[in-house]
Amino acid sequence: MTPVPQALLILLLPLASAAIIALFLRRHGGLATMVSVTAAAALAGLSLGLIFGGERFETSMEWMSLGGLTISLGFKFDDLAALMLFVVSFVGFFIHLFSTGYMHDDQARARYFGGLSIFMFSMLGIVFADNLFMMFIFWELVGFSSYLLINHYHEKQTAADASKKAFIANRVGDFGFLLGIILCFWTYGTVNLSELGALADSGQLAYSRLIPLLLFCGAVGKSAQMPLQVWLPDAMEGPTPVSALIHAATMVAAGIFMLCRIEVLMVAETLNIIMWVGTATALYAALCAIVQSDIKKVLAYSTLSQLGYMVAAFGLGSTMVDHDGDGVLIAAGVGAAMFHLTTHAFFKALLFLGSGSVIHGCHHEQDIFKMGGLRKKMPITFLTFTIGVLAIIGLPGLAGFFSKDAILLLAYQNNLPVFAILVFTAVLTAFYMVRMWKLVFFGSTRSDHAAKSHESGFSMTLPLIVLAILAIAGGWPDVYGKLAGSVAGLVPHSEAAHLTILLTSVAVLVIGSLGAWAFYKTDGSDSLEVASSGAFNGLTTLKESFDGLYGFYVAKVQQRFAMLLNFLEQIFLAGLIIRGFAGFVGLLGLGARALHVGSLHAYVYWFLLGVVMLWALTSGLF
Amino acid sequence: MITVGLNAYILLSVVLFAIGFFGVLVRKNTLIVYLSLELMLVASTLALVAFSRYNGTMDGNVFVFFILTVAAAEVAVGLAIIVALFRKRMTVQLDELNALKN
Repeated sequence: MTPVPQALLILLLPLASAAIIALFLRRHGGLATMVSVTAAAALAGLSLGLIFGGERFETSMEWMSLGGLTISLGFKFDDLAALMLFVVSFVGFFIHLFSTGYMHDDQARARYFGGLSIFMFSMLGIVFADNLFMMFIFWELVGFSSYLLINHYHEKQTAADASKKAFIANRVGDFGFLLGIILCFWTYGTVNLSELGALADSGQLAYSRLIPLLLFCGAVGKSAQMPLQVWLPDAMEGPTPVSALIHAATMVAAGIFMLCRIEVLMVAETLNIIMWVGTATALYAALCAIVQSDIKKVLAYSTLSQLGYMVAAFGLGSTMVDHDGDGVLIAAGVGAAMFHLTTHAFFKALLFLGSGSVIHGCHHEQDIFKMGGLRKKMPITFLTFTIGVLAIIGLPGLAGFFSKDAILLLAYQNNLPVFAILVFTAVLTAFYMVRMWKLVFFGSTRSDHAAKSHESGFSMTLPLIVLAILAIAGGWPDVYGKLAGSVAGLVPHSEAAHLTILLTSVAVLVIGSLGAWAFYKTDGSDSLEVASSGAFNGLTTLKESFDGLYGFYVAKVQQRFAMLLNFLEQIFLAGLIIRGFAGFVGLLGLGARALHVGSLHAYVYWFLLGVVMLWALTSGLF
Repeated sequence: MITVGLNAYILLSVVLFAIGFFGVLVRKNTLIVYLSLELMLVASTLALVAFSRYNGTMDGNVFVFFILTVAAAEVAVGLAIIVALFRKRMTVQLDELNALKN
């Protein structure tokens, strides 16, 4: 098959699956599962063929033309898209497979799998998009499917609230994104990524600080960076495989992917802001993660933190560059960010699926203080989860080690304060991950649910094993080089700083994990709360401060403003204009009603009068 | 051969139209009113034919064909309505057909 129809087939397969499920299989959970998983498997197979077939292409077709504005749909399939396609289709397939086990007893399986399919379609659209308008369309579609899937347990008020929160927080970011796209079109006359790249290469691009900053707003919303990070922890209300697919591996990484796509538009000032936003998010989320007791919330904050790393890496790789010089350092940011995105997708999907397996085994208990001792009861989950933990805290040799090192190296070379913060964040990462790992798998079981837990079935352990292999090998230069092609070549290397970085990350790993191992007792209470309630409360307050602030804004400021608007509306719009017009028309009607006498002859006289008047008018008597 | 001028035809047409119109105005029976209406229609077609003849073109004649066709259909519908009305109300006197007013 030639590559373009193959790409089209990859894109449309999940849409077809979603359509079939939505139209015919809403009452048939089993069939819907089969359709959706088959589609995911087929598209994963086709994607592998496309990625390793070596064909890279670009094609575009006009969709609509409105005056000077032409919106086109097209595929841009380069190494960057190929890497992202691998993450989405491959990890996506294994999460589909995991879902067959995890959601097996769910009443609304059909809706769930339909949602997964529509999500896959939207996400692939972002991956393939060759222009910003098309990306925006699919950008909104992933937001929509994320809304559907977070809201899966919609009879739960918290889930319904969380989905709305996610949707609204994303709207705020997307507004900036849309403004950025419009401004980009206004300024450069095109939103096609390759044309923008060609403009930049020929030096005709009038760099602007505002455009990349506005486009970055989209990434802030979708990748849950500060200050819009509030929706991601709440989004954990959705089923766990959804958290793995959407809120860890793919959708939240779309923001990073989009930044890498528009890298040619970046200027130093904007990159500086991006770098600090990412760094702040990484630190903030890591601090919040320490005091979480819900296994999925720990992972959610960890995801936030790692996304912060990626955003910081993107910003870092480019701060030193001016556009007259060579573009190597910019690309270093892209290389490091995409590298971490890929390895993070592997190990974080693994961790989320592992937590899903734990939650499934413990009969939907999510509190880590009520688990404990699962090491013996769930050996495969334990083993794979351990690999995931080791990968995220950066044990040398595992995927996370390589990608985190690339980011730390960039920070070390470019900005020492950021380097210090990121190293401290890495210590915290090791700390909270080991804390969770110890509380879940070691010690004695602390609740009935945990005592009655059991290992999950094959459909759930197989994805864990495959992802564990990727979490080990995904970062090896040979493996990643195959996956990423030329993008792998952008990952920064330095012989000189190599030893410093290696020693730093090993020291970080040892301090963080040994600290957590020694500090936390598996006795069913949070050791930090026992030891220092001040620190515990401080971190909890930090976590809740944003929610509190937004709550205050919405409930007090915005509500008051809405009341004022409502008052004005009642007086002017509803009062003067609407009542006024209605009254006037009523008056006319009163007059017209007097003409209605009920005798046909009277009407004929009116008619005659009308004809005479018309005649008089046309013959100029008036 | 006696030639009749255009004015005579127009005059006849106007007279027929006026008769029809006064019929509509003063008669109380729906059927008669309906006949008068048809008379007005035919009066206007007569004028059209006369103009067509006077100008030596076929435009007016073509109009007449269309009008007659439509009028035939309209008469069928109109008479059917009157018959239906009679069945329902047992009268076709206009004075008594004022249900809409009340």
